[in-house]
Amino acid sequence: MLKVEHVTKYYGEFKAVDDLSFTVKEGEIFGLLGVNGAGKTTTFRMIMGLLEPTEGKITLDNKKIDYSVTDKIGFLTEERSLLTKLTVYDQCVFYGTLKGMSKKQIEERLDTLLEKFSITEYKHKKIKELSKGNQQKIQFITAILNEPKLLILDEPFSGLDPFNIELFKKEILDLSKKGSMIIFSSHRMEHVELFCKKIVVLLHGKSVLAGDLKDIKEEYQKKNILIQGDFSLDEIKKVKGVINVTQGQDYIVKIENGDVVPEVFKKLRDANITKFVVEEASLNEIFIEKVGEAYEK
Amino acid sequence: MRNKLFFLTSVSLKRKIKTKWFVLANILLCLGIVGIFNINSIIKFFGGDFDEPLKIYVMDETGEAYDILKEQIYTVDKGYYGEDSKNYEVLPYTEQGEIKEFIEGESKKYAFIIRNDENKILDVTLMSDGFIDTIDYQLLSTAVNNTKTIIATSKVDVSMEDVEKIVGPVSITREILDETKKTEDENMEMVMKTVFPMIILPFFMLTIFLVQMIGAEVNDEKTTRGMEIIISNVSAKTHFASKILSGNIFVLLQGGLLIVYFLLGLVVKNVLSSNHLFTGLDTMIGGTVSKVFESSLASQLTYVIPLSLLLMIITFVAYSLLAGVLASITTNTEDFQQLQTPIMIILLVGYYLAIMASTFKGALFIRILSYVPLISAILSPSLFVVGQIGILDVLLSIGIAILFDYLLIHFGLKIYKVGILNYSSEGLWKKMFKALKQKS
Repeated sequence: MLKVEHVTKYYGEFKAVDDLSFTVKEGEIFGLLGVNGAGKTTTFRMIMGLLEPTEGKITLDNKKIDYSVTDKIGFLTEERSLLTKLTVYDQCVFYGTLKGMSKKQIEERLDTLLEKFSITEYKHKKIKELSKGNQQKIQFITAILNEPKLLILDEPFSGLDPFNIELFKKEILDLSKKGSMIIFSSHRMEHVELFCKKIVVLLHGKSVLAGDLKDIKEEYQKKNILIQGDFSLDEIKKVKGVINVTQGQDYIVKIENGDVVPEVFKKLRDANITKFVVEEASLNEIFIEKVGEAYEK
Repeated sequence: MRNKLFFLTSVSLKRKIKTKWFVLANILLCLGIVGIFNINSIIKFFGGDFDEPLKIYVMDETGEAYDILKEQIYTVDKGYYGEDSKNYEVLPYTEQGEIKEFIEGESKKYAFIIRNDENKILDVTLMSDGFIDTIDYQLLSTAVNNTKTIIATSKVDVSMEDVEKIVGPVSITREILDETKKTEDENMEMVMKTVFPMIILPFFMLTIFLVQMIGAEVNDEKTTRGMEIIISNVSAKTHFASKILSGNIFVLLQGGLLIVYFLLGLVVKNVLSSNHLFTGLDTMIGGTVSKVFESSLASQLTYVIPLSLLLMIITFVAYSLLAGVLASITTNTEDFQQLQTPIMIILLVGYYLAIMASTFKGALFIRILSYVPLISAILSPSLFVVGQIGILDVLLSIGIAILFDYLLIHFGLKIYKVGILNYSSEGLWKKMFKALKQKS
């Protein structure tokens, strides 16, 4: 289990992370969210042992993270961390060996992963010759080459098309099923919602929202009603508890809580309605509410 | 961690050596060095006017000078250019026409007109179409004077032995009171003054290779953020050590290859000129090598060469440590290229002072600088070879250089640890000074 306990990090006078605590159990996928400068990268760096916390401690299976356990960790950085002059094979042998793997183990695992990601033909190509999406695949492969016990993914889907996002998702879920602890950061809230059971939202280094995603959503009263059909928009807007109505493919009626749903439904009783769906507020909405600004990387 | 150190070192070395540019650069270096050593043979291979002997036509009106002059010209030619030399062909002028017309427009034909002279014994005119090369003129002039001496000797009935006694140079016996100095070493200073800068040129070149290699690698790993992955698996200390090791192994390998090219050049020259490895060398380097082997310095070479090499290796380490530390604090390649300039200036100062050492003999300033690390590898052996410092001074320079390396490792590593994961130039010096204050 990964334990982050009351961790604080100062850069000079600047407090980058403020008393942060969370745990990630085996098989769990954990979301670490926050806007730019919220302290996510600093937290990742502290977990990886690249930075020493000013206060608090981080342990993996009750052991301080040092070079004796880093072989069990996989890390995908937000920026490309590939040596672009190397070939895919050389790059994987390089990072794999640093993870304590033998050449044979690396070759076997690499062949499997290249096959899974449909890029076997690039094995001996230089990384700089690959597209951004394929470079991201290679970066992901280097992070999971050692089948890590703890996998840290900082914006893993950047530069990927929907098809490849699905491939990544599948692999991440497979690793989770095998017992890997996965910490995940993304600015795409739908990805976080899909993967993560638990989240922490950071603001100025401090946790402003933490816990089980399901519980968070339940606690968050506001909901949306999706409506399709012919009805009087003004009538709906007048209902007490309706915050606003926006029009996209559906009409999205934002309401203060579940009690407002029957009142809205009453107003539509005589209208020609083809769709009426009540949904929970999205993580993005909760995030904006809590953080107070749009989540933009 | 040791295995990872060797692994990182081997990866760095492979990344430098297993490139077509390394192979290409070495092919060009090899060709260049072998070519410089054999430049005479190359020039001769393509031929030209120089290949033909200069024809000297002699119109002898005295009836006795031709044979003597011919023999003297050949003797002087062999004395100056070597036994196999055939730079001149002496022929009697037997043509019907005017000799002037015969020589006119011919750059490879000269003519001697020799007449009797009551006062000067011989009256000699040397006729050429254009200017005469200085060396040719000196040799021909010597041959004419010798001819005159022989003819004059025969006329006044004085034996050749007596003539030699009269005109021969006085032999001066040298006596130097300082027992450590030998007369044959006197010209070493002049030789080393002109040639030593060429000998230390490879050191200069290798240091530039070293600084660039380490800087480029650290920068590459840092700017691609590959550094984060590497440092999350090996300590900064191991990473730093691998860069220093690979950089120094690389320059030693490249230095070894330069020596191989040097020897190859000598062997090719030997084959082409069918001479002994050193005696056949008439180039500046070859001549110097011969002179060094003839002087008393040869006996000191057994410890001078190892000590100089040791000082150079220690200095390579110092330059690599400095390059690694500087590269770690830069955030892009351009910044590192700018930071390379002071390193190059330090190197140039050492190089310039090594050249100036003979001019400012006994200069205290240069002597003190010969102990300064980074410069000492060039300056200290230079001053020792020209006899301005002793072996103890060289040993002191080595000691100071080792201490400097230790300090660079001790303090440089603290900066390196912080620098390699720092991507912002904001408050850079503050961060570095703070890093220096941290405990190891």
